[in-house]
Amino acid sequence: MTLTAALQITILGLLLGGVYALMASGLTLLFGVMRVVNLAHAAFIVLGAFFGFYMWDGLGIDPLVSTVLALPVFFVFGVILYRLLFPRIEGSPRFTEMTVLMTFGLAFMAEGLMSYFFTGIFRSANPPYARDAVILGDIFIPTGQLYSATASAVLLIGLWVFLKFTRIGYGVRATMQNRDAAQIVGVDVRRVSTISFGIGMALAGAAGSLVSFLFPFFPSRHWQWIAILLSLIVLGGMGSLKGAVIGALGLAVMAAFVSDVIGPVWAPITFFGALFVVLLVRPQGLFGKKVRA
Amino acid sequence: MTDRTTEDHDTVDFVEAPAPPSRSRWWVVGALVIGIAVLPMFRGMGSYNYVLQLGIITMMWISMTSSWNILGGYTGYISLGHNVFFGVGGYVAGMLLLELGWSPFVTAPLAGLFAMMLGLVAGLITYRTHGPSFIISTIALLLVVTLLMDNWSYLGGSSGLSLPLPGFDVTWLKVPFYYAMFIAAVGSVLLGYRVQHSKFGLALRAIAADEVKAEAAGISTRRFKVMAFALSAFFPGAVGAIWGYSLAYLRPVIFLLIAIAARMVLMTIIGGRGTVAGPVIGAALVIFLDEVSVTLFGATELNLVITGALLIVTLLFFPMGVVGTLRERNKLPAWLDWD
Repeated sequence: MTLTAALQITILGLLLGGVYALMASGLTLLFGVMRVVNLAHAAFIVLGAFFGFYMWDGLGIDPLVSTVLALPVFFVFGVILYRLLFPRIEGSPRFTEMTVLMTFGLAFMAEGLMSYFFTGIFRSANPPYARDAVILGDIFIPTGQLYSATASAVLLIGLWVFLKFTRIGYGVRATMQNRDAAQIVGVDVRRVSTISFGIGMALAGAAGSLVSFLFPFFPSRHWQWIAILLSLIVLGGMGSLKGAVIGALGLAVMAAFVSDVIGPVWAPITFFGALFVVLLVRPQGLFGKKVRA
Repeated sequence: MTDRTTEDHDTVDFVEAPAPPSRSRWWVVGALVIGIAVLPMFRGMGSYNYVLQLGIITMMWISMTSSWNILGGYTGYISLGHNVFFGVGGYVAGMLLLELGWSPFVTAPLAGLFAMMLGLVAGLITYRTHGPSFIISTIALLLVVTLLMDNWSYLGGSSGLSLPLPGFDVTWLKVPFYYAMFIAAVGSVLLGYRVQHSKFGLALRAIAADEVKAEAAGISTRRFKVMAFALSAFFPGAVGAIWGYSLAYLRPVIFLLIAIAARMVLMTIIGGRGTVAGPVIGAALVIFLDEVSVTLFGATELNLVITGALLIVTLLFFPMGVVGTLRERNKLPAWLDWD
């Protein structure tokens, strides 16, 4: 492998990793704030992809615009879903486990409904830039991936600014650090949880719209994605946004090399292999605190 | 945290042992088992093969859910990748048939043992994780195995392998499968009963209740968790062998869809986690609902929606399942109380 090829692969991996980071951010936020593991997260990413696809196919709205439109739509959807499902199990002694099982059911419902209404065929939005590329010397950068990675970066920075500088953001971070203590100092933890769930969902919707022109997708695709995303967040330390982003970028680059050297079919093995290694060596993840859930 | 205390686990008796069961209730259960055992003799009944096939499927699920219950119910460790063992069992027996000509009816226990070894390895990788990380690693295990199976050309890859049909007369073709599944179902329920009534099961329940306290009480949580994982892999492997043979076809999607793991979870939770009768009732109930929904709506994606919705509704409104909820209200009929 020449140096140029290696650079090329690294760049492609980083671009993809940016999108993975966005996909994983909602998931890790939910775990951090609420100790909810949302197995349906990737199913909602697929839903977001259908949103982006139909906006483009039906109304001619660019998926990049849909990414912004998806934020409020999915936020409201998330808040409704939270209110419907979670208050009932909030006091459960095995809350996290309950959320895993419940969102597992939710993922099947979402998959079944999407297959029923949108059918199971491969789809992909094809805005003009999706098949274009920027060429810098010997390096080839697909425009679609460049745009989606940039959009992901913008959204992730937006999330960071929100968490760092707004009043609700303080509440969210406080709840992540210590739920009981946050409650004692006057954070409305339930409101914070509702908003976080909405934000998590909004991020899924936005990531979905970006995915709509990046990969071909179909309703049952979400199991592969959720497995990759979950590996990422375990790897980064569950609930750590920094860990999720670094894990996503690092592993996406590794996966790009695996894909090039061994074959694209084996790329997902990178994520699972890394997961198992991390579980053996450092079960709490790279940036995680030791938590007994 | 070390193994040194393991010998002391026999002294753990802080949980009250269940009262010895009264003998009378076993009459109903015994009659039911005998009824199921003699069913294939009524060759003359209508839709004979349909009834037998339904029996095969139900007993297969009873066996798988009862096994899942050892890990997911008693120990409180939820595995969403347990159909890995189902698939591995199917492939091990299938390859033994193709390469050596050994009948899966004979090699099913071998397939189960092989699955158990894999369960041991999986247990050794995951024993340090708890709660969500454990669940996530079981999903990852499922996807790794799926990826391997899909791309391993020796095993036919994603397009699969054909197996020779057993050389029985077609009119009786289903009967041996029926009895094989019957043995597996009875065996796994008895295993569940044994676990429930042993110090081993007590240790598992202690782990489910509070792992730190269990560890402090001198239970080697690591050893018990790994053992529970391995034990719960045996019957899924064995029934996988028989199921693959009965289809005469092995393909990763037959065994390794995550929806299959979901059904194990759903059935156990609907019936009642951590009880002996729960998985049996859950499996029978879900298979029955399945037949109804297929008759009403046909085999569409709506089945997935129903699976998901049932899981959510059960968790929200009666998380202890049929057996657990009835017992809590003191309305559990004696013949359903197998604990």
